[in-house]
Amino acid sequence: MPGKVREQVASPLDAAADHVLADRAADGDLRAFEVLVRRYGPLMRVYATRVLGSTDETDDVVQESFITAWQQLGTLDDGKAVKSWLMRIVGRKSIDRLRARRPHVNIDDTDAPAPESHAPHVLAEVESETEALARVLAALPVDQRRCWTLRELAEYSYGDIAVELNLPLSTVRGLLARARKTLLRQMEDWR
Amino acid sequence: MTADVSSFDQLDGVVRGVPGVAALYPAGSMVATVLAATLDAVAQGATAAPLVHIEQRADGIRVTARIGIGAAESSSDVSGRVHDAIAAHLEQSGSPPVVQIVVIVASVWLNV
Amino acid sequence: MTDLTPANRHFFAFDLDSTEGEQAGLNGYTIEQLSDYLDRDRMPADPGIDDSPDCEIALRGLERLRRAQRSLLAQDLERESRRDDSWVSSILNNITLEAHAGREIPLAHPSPIARLVVTEGAVRGMLRETGDRMQNVFVGRCVLVGDVSVPGAPISIRVDVTVFPGENIPRLADQLRDAMYATLSKYTELVVVAIDITVRDLHSLPDASADEQEK
Repeated sequence: MPGKVREQVASPLDAAADHVLADRAADGDLRAFEVLVRRYGPLMRVYATRVLGSTDETDDVVQESFITAWQQLGTLDDGKAVKSWLMRIVGRKSIDRLRARRPHVNIDDTDAPAPESHAPHVLAEVESETEALARVLAALPVDQRRCWTLRELAEYSYGDIAVELNLPLSTVRGLLARARKTLLRQMEDWR
Repeated sequence: MTADVSSFDQLDGVVRGVPGVAALYPAGSMVATVLAATLDAVAQGATAAPLVHIEQRADGIRVTARIGIGAAESSSDVSGRVHDAIAAHLEQSGSPPVVQIVVIVASVWLNV
Repeated sequence: MTDLTPANRHFFAFDLDSTEGEQAGLNGYTIEQLSDYLDRDRMPADPGIDDSPDCEIALRGLERLRRAQRSLLAQDLERESRRDDSWVSSILNNITLEAHAGREIPLAHPSPIARLVVTEGAVRGMLRETGDRMQNVFVGRCVLVGDVSVPGAPISIRVDVTVFPGENIPRLADQLRDAMYATLSKYTELVVVAIDITVRDLHSLPDASADEQEK
C-alpha cells in the first residue's frame, strides 16, 4: 500500500489551534490529524499506561483510539473540545481492555507493575517522591487506580467517572477517597 | 465473487501508467488503507494484492479504480484517460464483457 | 498541645475503613471534602478547616501528593515525547481516507459503461490546499451544499476560515474566493453559484495558541 508517512516538515498546521485541526481532520485532512496525533498522543499514552497498569497494551489502545477518533471526528461538534474528546476515547478503550482481562485473571492481584517500579529493597532513601508515587499507584487495586487516573490525569468529574465505569456515584467517591487515603498514608512512610 | 486473472493483475500497472495519475488506492470491498500517497509511493510500486478491483457478475465484469491525481490536469481528463486505458487493455486481453468501469478520484494533489 | 506542631507530627488522622474514625481525626471532615476544598483553591474559606491543625496536616499531605502527581505526569510525558516516530506512522498507516470520502460527484464521459466520479473529500482537500497556498489564513470546514450527484446542478460552498490578526478580512476573503473558483473550475465539473466564507475565529499568534493547548 502507498502507506508512507510524509517526511516531517515544519508546517503552519503544527501551530494551528485545536479547533482548526479538528475541523480539517473531520473533513479528511490527514496532515491536520497527524498534528493532533503528535500533540496529544504522548498524553494519551501516559494515560492509557496508568489505567492499564502496564505498557504492554498501550500501543494497541492508543492506536485503536486514534483510528476511532478519525472515523468519528465528524460527530465532534466543538473542535475546541478535541483534547478531552480524545482522552475520553482512550479512557474508554483502556477500560474495555481491562474488562476483557477480567474473566481470565483476578486483576487486583495480578496487575503488572508500572514500568518504573522497582523492587522494594532498592528504593529506600534514594527513591524520589515521583518514583515512590509511581510505585504506590501501580500497587493500588485496579478499581481505585482507574478512578484516580480518570480524576487526576484526565480531569473527569465524579459523575463522568461513574458513567464511564458504570458504577454508582457513591462507589466512585468511595474508591477515590480510598485511593487518596492510601496514597497519603504511603507518602507518610516516604519521609 | 471476485476473480483474479493474470490480465487483470496487469491493470494496476496500466492505471499507474496513465499520465496525471499520482496515486493508486485499493478499490476493493476491503477497507481501503490510504495515506499521504505521493509520487514516490507510486514509483515504489509493487504491492501484494491488486489495487484495481474486479468484480465478476453474471453479465460480465465490473472494474473499479481509485486514484489520486496531480495538479496538471482536471479530474475529468485524467479519470477519462484511466477509463480508456482500462477498456483498451481489457479488450486486447480478450476479457469477458465489461459492464462497467468505475474510476474514483479520491484525492487531488495540487502541489504534486 | 504545644507538641502538636503540624510540621513534625506524624500524619495519622484518617482511618481507611471507617468514616467516623476519619472524621474524628479531621475535625469532622473527610479527606474527600478536604480534597474538594483544595480543588476550589480553599474558596470560600472554611474556618472549620483552616483553623484545624489536623486538617492543615492533611491538606499539606494532599498538596504534596498533587505536586508528586504533577511531576510524575511531566516525567511520563517527557519520556513519551522522546519516543521515536514509529508509533505515529503505525497510526497513520491504519487510517483510511474512505472514512471521509463523502458523496461521489459524477464526471462526464461518452462511454455508456463509464462511471467516473470525484469524491467530495477530494474536493474539500483541493479547497483546503488552495487556502494553504495563501498567507495568514487557515481553511477549516468546507461544506458542499446542494445535490452534487446531479451533473450540472447548481451548488454552493460554505467555508470556515481562520485569519491571523492584522489582515484585511474582506480583501483576503475575496482573494480566497477567487482562488477557490479557479481551482474548482480547473479540476471539477461542479457548477458553483456561491462560495460563502465565514471568518470563524480571529486567532492570536499561532504559537501562543499552541502553547495554550499544552496546559
